[in-house]
Amino acid sequence: MFIARSEYDRGINTFSPEGRLFQVEYSLEAIKLGSTAIGVATGEGVILGVEKRVTSTLLETSSVEKIVEIDSHIGCAMSGLQADARSMVEHARVESQNHAFNYAEPLRVESCTQAICDLALRFGEGAEGEESIMSRPFGVALLIAGYDEDGPSLYHAEPSGTFYRYDAKAIGSGSEGAQAELQNEFHKSLTLAEAEVLVLKTLKQVMEEKLDSKNVQLASVTKAKGFKIYTDAEMEGVVGRLPTN
Amino acid sequence: MAALFSGAPPQGGPGYSFKQTPTMAPSGERQHGFYPYTDNGGSTLGISGADFTIMAGDTRSTSGYNINTRYAPKLFKIGGEGPDNKGARIVLSVVGFAADGDALKERLDTIVKMYKYQHGKPMSVSACAQRLSHVLYNKRFFPYYVHAILGGIDEDGKGALYSYDPVGSYEREQCRAAGAAASLIMPFLDNQVNFKNQYEPGSGTGHDLQAKVAQPLPRDTVESIVRDAFTSAVERHIEVGDGLQMMIITPNGVEETFTPLKRD
Repeated sequence: MFIARSEYDRGINTFSPEGRLFQVEYSLEAIKLGSTAIGVATGEGVILGVEKRVTSTLLETSSVEKIVEIDSHIGCAMSGLQADARSMVEHARVESQNHAFNYAEPLRVESCTQAICDLALRFGEGAEGEESIMSRPFGVALLIAGYDEDGPSLYHAEPSGTFYRYDAKAIGSGSEGAQAELQNEFHKSLTLAEAEVLVLKTLKQVMEEKLDSKNVQLASVTKAKGFKIYTDAEMEGVVGRLPTN
Repeated sequence: MAALFSGAPPQGGPGYSFKQTPTMAPSGERQHGFYPYTDNGGSTLGISGADFTIMAGDTRSTSGYNINTRYAPKLFKIGGEGPDNKGARIVLSVVGFAADGDALKERLDTIVKMYKYQHGKPMSVSACAQRLSHVLYNKRFFPYYVHAILGGIDEDGKGALYSYDPVGSYEREQCRAAGAAASLIMPFLDNQVNFKNQYEPGSGTGHDLQAKVAQPLPRDTVESIVRDAFTSAVERHIEVGDGLQMMIITPNGVEETFTPLKRD
């Protein structure tokens, strides 16, 4: 399979005769290797959840940062190459602060997602005159959760630069199973507390390790509190509410 | 700067922009000068009500004692669609140096139109007000030589009015007069709109006097205050006259009126 593609695997921005950009497609594969991340949007707010792969008992779990704040009303969860997400999040933070500075209002979640996706295809050889920054596509997908004047919303941004809005979305290695579970369990009248449990329950099903309050991380975005990452105590509370089986 | 806000006619004859004849310095060298600004006179005013904002401006454009034209609008719709700003809900008035005012209006209009494409919603007046402040401040060291006033309807459906100095310092107000006759009109507005120096009849004497509390005025009252302000300004200021342009911004759109003023 790789031999057949090799001609068009080199130029990063070169279409294959079938009209495909292989490097972009491969970058989507990189995400499937990443840890699972889940987002669920309810009427009250959005819940983000990620699994932390604790590869060693000596690993300090708090140093695994897969949910980050973009602004006080927007946060995101990532799956894939985390280092790539740093530059995307940095860009989103600058964009959000610039918007607040220029317009004295918070940036909309969709506009923030669009700003991140604008970065996605700036790889390969730059067009005439302009220097390109990145040599390859991003290897990370983001779940962007936020609260704006239209209420809570959840977006999924891919390395290809496309984004979609979701009620519930799973990305990463366990995404197929998790997405099927979300499809069954999601309904429009979920409360925030129910969404917390749904996210953890779904993560639990697709995780290889046994889920505990240390190897998962939750965050919420609500109107009242904005973006908040759950503290250890809050995590233990939610994990305690999980149905035992 | 002084000339921009003083009510006095321009000193030293007609001030065409860039015109400055070379002068002899005491040391004997010829001195050349360049002055990039002109004062084009005229006056603007804005008053906000409970559910509307009225912006007004005369249409005379002057250079010294000359009249350039009797119809040069100082009121511009900002945003909306296309070159005639269909559906706009924000109005900018600019008075001072007309060329700078025009350039400022073009920039703000572009920004507001781009914003709608980028964010999928029309820009609010408060956001536009903040942006205009930055547009002005970004030229802090070669300012747009204008006194800008921005009017619209805020997110609660109330009339909104913001006034600016040439470098972007701004404030939301009930009413503001700007330009050549600002010093003539503003005290009148203080009294008629904000009820300054008005007291409740029979509330006592001396310190017992109760100040009359300002409240948003009905639209027809505001319109007649605007007309009175301009007909009076025309009598007392040579740079104001020819025509009165008004834009009344309501949640349903912008209504535009034109009334002739004395052309003397």
